[in-house]
Amino acid sequence: MADMPKKKRKGANTSLVFTNKMYIFLIPALAMFLVFWIYPVLQLFYYSITNFNGINYDFDFVGLKNYSKVLSNGTLTNSLKNTMIYAVFTVVLSNVIGMAIAMILNTRIRFKGFFRTCAYFPALFSAIVVGFIWSYVYMPGAGMIGNLLTNIGLDGTAFNPLGNFRTALYAIAIVEVWKGFGTTMIIYLAGLQTVDESLLEAGRIDGCTEWQLIRKIKLPLISSTVTINVILSVIAGLKAFDYSFIMTNGGPGKSTKTLMFQVYETAFTDMKMGRASAFSVMAFAFIILITVIMLFYLNKREVEL
Amino acid sequence: MNRKTMFALALTGAMTLAASTAVFADYDHEAIENSGDITITLMVSGVATDNDFETEVLPNLIKEKWPNVTIEATKLPDDNYYTSLKTKLASGECPDLILTQPMYAGQNSCYALAEAGYLASLNDLDTVQGRQDMAAVTYDGDIVTSTSGVSILGCYYNKDLFAQAGIESVPQTWDEFLEDCQKLQDAGIQPIVMGDKDQYVLQFGLYQIAANEIYSKNPDYDIQLRSGETHFTDEGTWDKVLEMYKTLYDNKYIDADMSLGYGASQSITDFIDGKAAMTFDGSFNAPALTAEGAAGAFERGYFPIPGTEGVYTATCLGAGYSIYSGSKYIDQCKEILDYWQDGHSDVWKAHLATGRIIPVYGEGAETVPNIDLFQPFIDLMNEGKGFYWCNQAWPAGTENEMEVLFSEMVGGQGTEIEDITEGMQEKFEDLLED
Repeated sequence: MADMPKKKRKGANTSLVFTNKMYIFLIPALAMFLVFWIYPVLQLFYYSITNFNGINYDFDFVGLKNYSKVLSNGTLTNSLKNTMIYAVFTVVLSNVIGMAIAMILNTRIRFKGFFRTCAYFPALFSAIVVGFIWSYVYMPGAGMIGNLLTNIGLDGTAFNPLGNFRTALYAIAIVEVWKGFGTTMIIYLAGLQTVDESLLEAGRIDGCTEWQLIRKIKLPLISSTVTINVILSVIAGLKAFDYSFIMTNGGPGKSTKTLMFQVYETAFTDMKMGRASAFSVMAFAFIILITVIMLFYLNKREVEL
Repeated sequence: MNRKTMFALALTGAMTLAASTAVFADYDHEAIENSGDITITLMVSGVATDNDFETEVLPNLIKEKWPNVTIEATKLPDDNYYTSLKTKLASGECPDLILTQPMYAGQNSCYALAEAGYLASLNDLDTVQGRQDMAAVTYDGDIVTSTSGVSILGCYYNKDLFAQAGIESVPQTWDEFLEDCQKLQDAGIQPIVMGDKDQYVLQFGLYQIAANEIYSKNPDYDIQLRSGETHFTDEGTWDKVLEMYKTLYDNKYIDADMSLGYGASQSITDFIDGKAAMTFDGSFNAPALTAEGAAGAFERGYFPIPGTEGVYTATCLGAGYSIYSGSKYIDQCKEILDYWQDGHSDVWKAHLATGRIIPVYGEGAETVPNIDLFQPFIDLMNEGKGFYWCNQAWPAGTENEMEVLFSEMVGGQGTEIEDITEGMQEKFEDLLED
């Protein structure tokens, strides 16, 4: 009897390109993901219910004590407030500036390649370098801005943004915006270049002003880009640590202590690794919550637009 | 073990040890000779420079002495060092020799590491026999850090500016100190510059005043703090220290409007540029503070901030080297440490030449750079008027609370002295918990 063709099982992999054997190649990446991401996160939960100090592995389980301490000692309230102010400030400013510059650099102007490079330039430096440079820019008296003020007849020594409790947080947020707006701009620029020129042409023929073209055509068409940029900025804002650490070390007083800075300080200065883990778990939950809410809201807006 | 009793135990152990050290000299002094080729790992904190002592000079000199020994040294910036140390300890891969701090100071404090069982006993080192000054590195009867140097906190001053303001000698009482500040201010000279943006510099002044006003009267203050007999909130202790230091800000001898935005290095620059007459800093920053700035090579001096009833000093044992208890080469490391710290070897001389340590014994101790600045402090210490830096006896983090609250007070945030002492006490108790 002639061989009958084998009947394929329902749902069997019939792909000639991605056969079942190809899944083997996922194993290294998956293993690394499990070892370097999932396992540490699970460890974080584990340490959060212990009194581990980071050195002595002879620790005890303390239940939810670390969580109640974090909630009751005031550090969470202060750092959460600072983080929210920082995040809102940087998200708004970096997106507004990034989008405005992207709009300008998407027009037909001379040297636009050069200007695009200039705008992106700060993003190439590490936070350490940027932090040190801006510490000197902000330095009272002999700093760059202080000197400029002195040269125009004002009191340069009175300009002390990092030493002032009211301005220090905004001063470091400005540095974050300065470094980050280039990246935001590049993403907006990529979005704007996908806008079909014929739609803009049609709008112009219909008598739209430039503002109407932006409001009614460009913005709706790049709404997914806005979502990406806002979400990325929100996550970066909520994870703020670098400039608090480099430029102010959380000061003056506690005025620039962010969530992540507080976690660092609890773990490595107070040597309360267990409590820092509990702090991280709460910060982790908070960041996810905010991100998910923002994502839902912005996706909904995308559809409406 | 309960941490409250642990501190008392450590000090008791130190005293017992002092009486009985002679019986411990029994490690194998020929361990290296009998080892074949070995590699000893060393990890320290700091930033490596050209011809760096730990990473270049020390390995070469040890190789000259023992050709079969290779020292593999790593030098990391402070934060990296702490993280790396913890990771290596946790994984059982700690280097054989590590840099540790006395008592509870820092994340590499010898008491915390010894409590966790990570440090080998150094009681049988030849170089610690008969030494009476090792209490701050002795835990539960075991010397755990080998250190030969001291660290000093004091007030650097510009002799030219002092002369310009008509000040002829360094102050001997707190009132004289305030009078001198006033004279400087009246002469149009900024009396003191501090980089309070790096809040840790607040310790430089406060610990000196605490040596005068608290420890000179009650050397056991911190032991009692742990047992609950004393509190930061006790009248006439930290409230007095904080009030005295605050006076300097109230009178603008230190200008908080400027200092809160100034980093530590910026204040050093201002001092060497002649923009201020004094700055409070440690012996560890002497090279930077004695360097030539815009004001040229003016003459500098260094004195301990005087107290209301005499002059005491915040001078104490500096950081040193410990042997990891899990090391395969404990006796070999001991031979190396003994050679290094013997007071006359080539390694000893090379270490002194770095200018980073102020030795309390040995050849060349009188020739270390800036020794003329440090000698008055060493003399005071030898007279029994030297006390350790407060944070060495506190759980790490207490001093940060003090700095934060003090900054808030001088920054006009409505914080009062009692808020600071209460905050310190609360933090202290919280950190001692568990």
